[in-house]
Amino acid sequence: MIARQQVGLATCTLGEVKNRADLVIFWGCNPRESHQRHQARYSASVKGQFIPEGRKGRRIVAIDVRPTSTTAAADQFIQVEPGSTFETATLLRALVAGKRIGIEEDAKVGGVPLHVWRELAEAIKAADYGVILFGLGVTHDRGHDLNVEELGALIREVNDYTRFYGLPMRGHGNVTGSNQVMGWQTGYPIAVNFNRGYPRYNPGEFSVLGLLAREEVDAAIIIATDPGAHLPGDSVAALQAIPTIYLEPHVNTTTGWATVVIPVAPAGVAAEGTFYRMDNVPLRVRKLVDSPFPSDEEVLRSIKETILHA
Amino acid sequence: MLRVTNGRVHDPGNAVAGEVRDVWLDGGKVVAEPAAEPADVATLDAAGCVVFPGGVELHSHVAGSKVNAGRIMCPEDHVDHYRCRTDVTRAGCGHTVPTTYLTGYEYARLGYTTLFEAAVPPLTARHAHEELRDIPILDTGCYTVMGNNHLVMKVLSDPDEERRAARLRDLVAWLLHATRAYAVKIVNPGGVESWKWHGGPVDLDTSVPPYGVTPRRILTGLAAAADELGLPHPVHVHLNHLGVPGNVAVTLASMQALAGRRAHFTHLQFHSYEATRSGSYASGAPAVAESINQHPEFTCDVGQLVFGPATTMTSDAPMEFRLHHLHKDKWANSDIEMESGAGVVPMRYSPRQLVNAVQWCVGLELMLLIRDPWRVFLTTDHPNAGPFVAYPMIVRLLMDREFRREWLEKLNPRVRRFTTLHELDREYTLDEIATVTRAGQARVLGLADKGHLGVGADADVAVYREQGDRERMFAAPAWVVKGGEVVVRDGEVVAAVDGRPLGVDLGDPPPLAADLAEQFESYSSVRLANYAVEDAYVPDQVLIPCAP
Repeated sequence: MIARQQVGLATCTLGEVKNRADLVIFWGCNPRESHQRHQARYSASVKGQFIPEGRKGRRIVAIDVRPTSTTAAADQFIQVEPGSTFETATLLRALVAGKRIGIEEDAKVGGVPLHVWRELAEAIKAADYGVILFGLGVTHDRGHDLNVEELGALIREVNDYTRFYGLPMRGHGNVTGSNQVMGWQTGYPIAVNFNRGYPRYNPGEFSVLGLLAREEVDAAIIIATDPGAHLPGDSVAALQAIPTIYLEPHVNTTTGWATVVIPVAPAGVAAEGTFYRMDNVPLRVRKLVDSPFPSDEEVLRSIKETILHA
Repeated sequence: MLRVTNGRVHDPGNAVAGEVRDVWLDGGKVVAEPAAEPADVATLDAAGCVVFPGGVELHSHVAGSKVNAGRIMCPEDHVDHYRCRTDVTRAGCGHTVPTTYLTGYEYARLGYTTLFEAAVPPLTARHAHEELRDIPILDTGCYTVMGNNHLVMKVLSDPDEERRAARLRDLVAWLLHATRAYAVKIVNPGGVESWKWHGGPVDLDTSVPPYGVTPRRILTGLAAAADELGLPHPVHVHLNHLGVPGNVAVTLASMQALAGRRAHFTHLQFHSYEATRSGSYASGAPAVAESINQHPEFTCDVGQLVFGPATTMTSDAPMEFRLHHLHKDKWANSDIEMESGAGVVPMRYSPRQLVNAVQWCVGLELMLLIRDPWRVFLTTDHPNAGPFVAYPMIVRLLMDREFRREWLEKLNPRVRRFTTLHELDREYTLDEIATVTRAGQARVLGLADKGHLGVGADADVAVYREQGDRERMFAAPAWVVKGGEVVVRDGEVVAAVDGRPLGVDLGDPPPLAADLAEQFESYSSVRLANYAVEDAYVPDQVLIPCAP
């Protein structure tokens, strides 16, 4: 998100990946374990309109710090040193632009010989429709949003030669939907503070970790996430020290300590709603079974109305 | 019951030109003056005011995937433009891309009560409807982009003319119904698909891969389909070569191709440039205005440039990529499978910048040279040429030639060599302003109950205090009434009622043809059964009848 606010992002929907992408680069992600249907539906074996041969019609490159099942199934695995995303993306930008690099041909960048990067840059320019699918290995590597910014700059510069796009391999159910709704209601996708009566945005300062670390939060409503499993220990301790209301369909590492747990109907199973896919395509999720529990929306509405009419 | 009394009524749809008369509102409608004074009547004393129908915006980008991409990408647009919540309004922020709630409040504060989002790809239509529902006060609808849609192009590649027309008509009805949209939008026909193949810009007769159809066939085919379905609004066309010097040629050729058919040409300012010998910009407005003047079947909106910040956003992805190269600033793009594309680039227009100055003049030239105010409408293609909050200033530019001259002095002085604006003396009347901001827009949208104050019209009224400074006058209405309720008083929102979604009544359109359904199932990333927007996204949608 922060990188998008710096350089933007050239992207496409997953159907375009399926129908057109003849070069797919998995960078710092392992969809064969994290997004198990992704390759079969969109990015590797699937037959697309202009990639009728499916897997054979695509060149697949995996860039990662360790071998994974994704790298094993790729046409090429480029094993990089941890912490080298920014450096290697910068190198690719220079190679794509035909700039003089100023290092020896046999030197290594990110632990990989220069000629490998040179060949990758040529492959990127030669593709008809290339995509980089990037994951936590990029966003949570040293440099964080700066890595994505550099990848974003690479992607847009390659568009001087061919169509070339990036898609973040997002996890967590409907995190994209949360960004979208926050975007249209508050102007900002994350880290919004309303304590002055209008939306203010400052990632870090107004992010969950920052607010909890400074003990600025005196009560929390937690929805559709499991902080006990995802937040650092200090943050969990800070949450445990204040009243918390937790909306959650399952027993997990947070339900044990939240002050109030309100069991809710799971969305897409016992409650309907809108789910924004990782490529921002909005899908309707349906209610398949009845649940004795209310939906998230019903709970929030009744809390709001109770407060309004108190 | 509500009575607006003592005001000068400007209701060009009913040939009322500034007469002092009462307007009676009841049950959400304009009603005839009751025979006897009713017991429960509230009165707005509009002495010293003009009374207009509620404003109608037929082309703006306010909701959906690309608008939100602009919001999310540009926090710098919002940080200094925020509103605290009040007892009746929610907090919001944003200048050129305001949040949905703020969008509704700001339009209402200018006297607008009806609003159309101008470009929605079918695949993300749910998103657009979700945002439109979060725009308060105004009745809203949206247009579906079809000019680069694979199913459309596949049907158009059929050599059999009759079968092609019949199949396209069914497909258009199906797409409109599936997206719960109001009109057919065409954006850079064929040009977006061409870009995905690294093709260059397309001309009217360029064959576009993969189906080998031409922009000419896309334009004429969709225009005919919209006509045959009797859609209340004709095809809404964003032509090829937007923003390129010399594009007046493709603009005039496209108009020639569509002659005899109803068509609405949008943000025509961006399509009315001659090229100078050095390849720079000169006004092509006189020729384009003349073409509109000669074709009563055409309407257009202007897309007037506003100096200052803007956020360009369009389905015309290749155009945005070209814009990005002007400043190498941030650029967002999203290719949308089988349908469309989208791009977003922030901009700043400057009066000292010759190109921007020419563009600014071209918009005003079009407004002043097109003689019939029923066929040219005031828009800024918000937020592409500038934010809609500039409307009061543009109204003043149209009504006040001295003000126009003052502004001309601030422009890059070379602009006089490339435009004729300084030679134009026309000043708009209040009736003409009422026409280009509501009456004409409602008429071309086929909204029989909007844009006028005759008995049976929707009770949407804007009351402005008469002032010599038309910018101040139109910036803060004394009252705005929506559906019979006072929503704005002295330029401030006092009630945030819900607007209603607007759609077209296509009956029960035939299902997607088997070959197209198979194509869809093979190559889309969603199942056909999950594609159409559900009723839940457009609760109580008002369906406007078609007249096939």
